[in-house]
Amino acid sequence: MAKRRDSDQKNRKPHGKAVGRRDFVKSGAAAGVGAAAVFSSSGTALAQVSPSDAIRWDYEADVVVIGAGCTGLPAAIRARDLGASVIVVDQNFDVGGKMLHSGGQVSFGGGDPLQLRDIKGERDPEGFVTAPRLHAVEELTEDPDFLFRDHTDWSVMDAAAQAPYRYNERDLHRAYADNCYATREFLMTNYVRFGRISGTHGNGGMSRARRAVTFLMEGPATDIKKGTISRQDAGIKGVSSSHFAPRYMEDGAKVASPGARVNGAALSRGLEFSAREKGIQFILNRHMDEVIREQQFSGRVVGIRASYSPRLDPQTGRRLESLWQNGNIDERRETIYVRARKAIVIGSGGHGANPQFRSMFYPAWREPAFVSSGWALLGPRGQDASGIIAGMRVGANLAGMHQNLSYGSTFHFPGTLATRDPYTDMLPGHPTFPFRGSTGILLTPDQFQHLIVVNQVGRRFFNEMLVTVREGGAAYPAGPSKGQPRSGMQHVQGDWRNASVDNVRKTYAEPNAIHAALAINEGSRAPDYLSGPIWAIFDRASVERDKWNINPPFTSPTNGFFFSADTIEELAAKIQKGHEFQRVPLNDLVETVKKWNAYVDQGNDPEFGRGSDAPMYRIEKPPFYAAALYPVWHDSYGGLRINGRAQVIDMQGEPIPGLYAGGEASGGGNQHGLGRALVHGYIAGTNAVREPGGTQ
Amino acid sequence: MTTSDVRADVARADAEAVQAHTTDIVAWDVPSAIVAGERFRITVGIKCSSECTLAGGGYGVYDHAGALLASGTLAAAVWPGTTGLYAAEVELTAPAEEGLYRWTAKATDMDLGRPHAETSGSFGVRVVSRPEHLVTIEAVDGATQTPLAGARVVMHPYRAVTDQRGVAEIRVAKGTYRLFVSQTRYITHGVPLEVTADVSTRVELAIEPIPERN
Repeated sequence: MAKRRDSDQKNRKPHGKAVGRRDFVKSGAAAGVGAAAVFSSSGTALAQVSPSDAIRWDYEADVVVIGAGCTGLPAAIRARDLGASVIVVDQNFDVGGKMLHSGGQVSFGGGDPLQLRDIKGERDPEGFVTAPRLHAVEELTEDPDFLFRDHTDWSVMDAAAQAPYRYNERDLHRAYADNCYATREFLMTNYVRFGRISGTHGNGGMSRARRAVTFLMEGPATDIKKGTISRQDAGIKGVSSSHFAPRYMEDGAKVASPGARVNGAALSRGLEFSAREKGIQFILNRHMDEVIREQQFSGRVVGIRASYSPRLDPQTGRRLESLWQNGNIDERRETIYVRARKAIVIGSGGHGANPQFRSMFYPAWREPAFVSSGWALLGPRGQDASGIIAGMRVGANLAGMHQNLSYGSTFHFPGTLATRDPYTDMLPGHPTFPFRGSTGILLTPDQFQHLIVVNQVGRRFFNEMLVTVREGGAAYPAGPSKGQPRSGMQHVQGDWRNASVDNVRKTYAEPNAIHAALAINEGSRAPDYLSGPIWAIFDRASVERDKWNINPPFTSPTNGFFFSADTIEELAAKIQKGHEFQRVPLNDLVETVKKWNAYVDQGNDPEFGRGSDAPMYRIEKPPFYAAALYPVWHDSYGGLRINGRAQVIDMQGEPIPGLYAGGEASGGGNQHGLGRALVHGYIAGTNAVREPGGTQ
Repeated sequence: MTTSDVRADVARADAEAVQAHTTDIVAWDVPSAIVAGERFRITVGIKCSSECTLAGGGYGVYDHAGALLASGTLAAAVWPGTTGLYAAEVELTAPAEEGLYRWTAKATDMDLGRPHAETSGSFGVRVVSRPEHLVTIEAVDGATQTPLAGARVVMHPYRAVTDQRGVAEIRVAKGTYRLFVSQTRYITHGVPLEVTADVSTRVELAIEPIPERN
């Protein structure tokens, strides 16, 4: 049940005036723009609807924030702290974005308060962090200049032969380095608790330890002020998730103390609690469709147009509701206009769920079957690139559009079978579980010895032991196994030897299996080339031998991502009949299994080299199983160009007045994880209130 | 037989003609290495595509030259976990000479109220000469040094599983092998092992880290 904190929020007016009923452009001729202007079927205008003075605004605030995730929430809170009125608009039914189901690991650095705390061996003010420091003092000691040099180091190459720091925008990372201290402190004063520093995120810098995870302490009840979370809310391992935390919160004893429960829910709900407490308003179930500028390519941005985007439980038909409601504006009209007196901050996330947008980077990803991480949590309109597209429509430039290829988890196989949402392991208990239907069966790379993996026509395409292995991501302590000649404190910034041909040859380790999986195969027919689903095929003997749990909720008998059959012939038929994205028959599956069993008998796999790395097992004992092995688009690099002030920059290199962006909606940075977006949000909120206009 | 008799027969056959159901046949639990001349068991299962009850249906197992080695009828109950697979355990004898043979299982006598099409499926039979040497493998957790029971040991084509003491004993022919020891949650350990006499070896397994989801 959602907790209600403010029972009469329906009677509350938004900050500033509520400006009456929305009215669209009175007549096209009068406004000078075709009123029959042009909406695509998704409700997004293809041309600016009208000059701002013809719009009747439904709501207004000093700062309008798009997206209630790890860019939007800090931006909103920071702007509010500086006196602005703030409305946050989010397409989803709940606050948190991808941050809510993340691991909660945040990398900053440059001598931030957490590094200083650990150096001094101090505890946190609440006394939750009793674990000792996990790094030596020297590994935590640095300053912003040092961090900036790490983030702009041309010479670092990783084991996938990518250079993740070479293309980072300088201005952006100077500002990042200079604001890490303030952002870490800001989070800690907004109910976010961090454990001890442990390592650094991929592409978060080679030279120092900078990463810490967020936690809450298990207690009798969930109380953000006290820093406690109930056992039910934190999740019960292998059994249930909760509305509070879509993923089970892991044990954090090593970084905090016994009873600490860690993941992104601690970060997200902490920030959300603070935002609501400070009077920030949320319009949820509301998808931003258009950023409106005075003229399409000139002048200030003045507001947004947004459409109603509720999500209905597939079983009950009821609308999904947010966990907390204080500060919610429950607006259900189809289209509304929200005026931004000072600024708009775009924190709408990335493009991983938009097949047309992401196919710019990789045509094979036009396959609509494959989704972005958090598909169930965020729904089909999450990560849809709408914020980026809205910025482009008013003249914004893009940046970092090739940086998707310089991190190994941008798109990959997580190794979770039998679910469309393979990045996360949500159990029943979260309101969105009915959308996915199964938690999935998580297998490590070594466990892939017990199965074979086939493409949409039923053929193997790679050594199964390598299908979920991915390289890339150069971060402290790194070293030869990660592609660098020296590891830890021995690493030298900007040294030519980091990028020597010899070193790259010696350390290259990327198996490239994901590319074989996505490759167009003979199952497709011109002009519709689609990679199609990938299937893990195994038998009863595999399940018994390696003790897999293939029962609900890990699989679903009805969601089309797991099948059981008496024979391989029957299995192929069930897949074709029961899986939504199986467009061609698996005509080669029977032959593939026969060939595989013959390879097992002869002790080697002439096609893909199995047998040298692990034992091979026949697939012979009924019942036979097929579990979908889906790749996921997780990270999103490349988006709106921003400067160090988080202002969106146009094609002439000029800021678009009043428009800010950060996180995955922006481009020019390659650090994996939450740290980048949190700093962007902090900077955007700080600068948004300095814009002219508003009630100040 | 008169012409009209023949005509009547044909007419009757036409009237009674029905489409034969297709069937599939599966063979499993075939040992990976069978000593020449020794007896061994496999399981054979047959499935009708229309899910007919096949209890009492007939099967035969034939060797690489097509000679019938064993025959019997399928059990009354479906194989556990399946909806229509009927199975039988089959006792066979390995040939006298070592080698990798392909034998065949066939569905026979499947007119169980309804004709069923003939089907056959082949399976590999690896015959080895009497193994000369005993290999003793002890598997332990590398971090805690505790024995690993139920660990899978493979020296192709020989397989075994470690007991409660973490120990497996396999008899193998002289030769050079790749010894694999694997266990759930651990990284598979593979090393070359040359066998010229009885030999003992101790293998330490490392826990496999769960990939980060951060």
